[in-house]
Amino acid sequence: MALILSDADLVTAAVAGSDAAYARLVARHQAAVRGFLRRMLGGTGLAAAAEADDLAQETFVTGWRSLRALKDPSGVRAWLCGIARRKARDRQRSLRRAATRDGSWLEAASVPQGVQPEDRLALTAAMAALPEDVRACVALCLAEGWSHGEAALALDLPLGTVKSHIARGRARLLAALGGPDDT
Amino acid sequence: MTPEQKMTALFAAETVPARDYAFQAEVVARIARHRAWASVLSLVPWLIAVTAGLWGLQPVIGAAADQVGPVLVPVAMTLTLVGGSLMAALWLTRRLGRA
Repeated sequence: MALILSDADLVTAAVAGSDAAYARLVARHQAAVRGFLRRMLGGTGLAAAAEADDLAQETFVTGWRSLRALKDPSGVRAWLCGIARRKARDRQRSLRRAATRDGSWLEAASVPQGVQPEDRLALTAAMAALPEDVRACVALCLAEGWSHGEAALALDLPLGTVKSHIARGRARLLAALGGPDDT
Repeated sequence: MTPEQKMTALFAAETVPARDYAFQAEVVARIARHRAWASVLSLVPWLIAVTAGLWGLQPVIGAAADQVGPVLVPVAMTLTLVGGSLMAALWLTRRLGRA
């Protein structure tokens, strides 16, 4: 029977020098970090996804280098997303240009049944238009399904602020998709 | 489809796969490169210290080398020849043993 180690156990082992333990942390949290960065940087084109993945790799390398600074080993996922957010902020400006380039890909990209390609474009544009804090909250809670508390921890924001950001962001996204704008 | 359902469907469609071995391998490779560079950089102070030490001891080492040089050169040549022969013999043994 395979032993399932907790995040805290893996962090402890990684701090002690185990690369295998850190590799397991990467495997466990890569989807969350990459998904968060893709939504933070905007666009779902191939180039944008590659940029986000590159940044996600940098995030994990930075995490590995500063693992000793992690105070709560069980909160490693939130901590990694905090690092990812800071890196996304730094790279945001240069990627804004790439978002325009990916427009044609987005139009041709497959969309879920019942959804029009224009809806995808509208959602991507609405996400990009959100303020950075709001977009981060939406990316974590609405798209990735995180709890408000965990998002507050990752983004270093008060819980009430996270809740209001999500409500505001959600209303704007729904408005872009043809729903009522409650803001 | 309501806007709420569209949003949920679009977010779900963009979910990153839970397993991506190529991504994980790239992260591990980047960490290995960082570790290698860190190892090289950690040797730099030692290299500087040894170089400075040898430079400081140059008069002593130079004089000693002049004295023991004539004796050490034949010994070093003999050791090189013996070592080379042993390695060649080992390589040949393995090569012929496989055939």
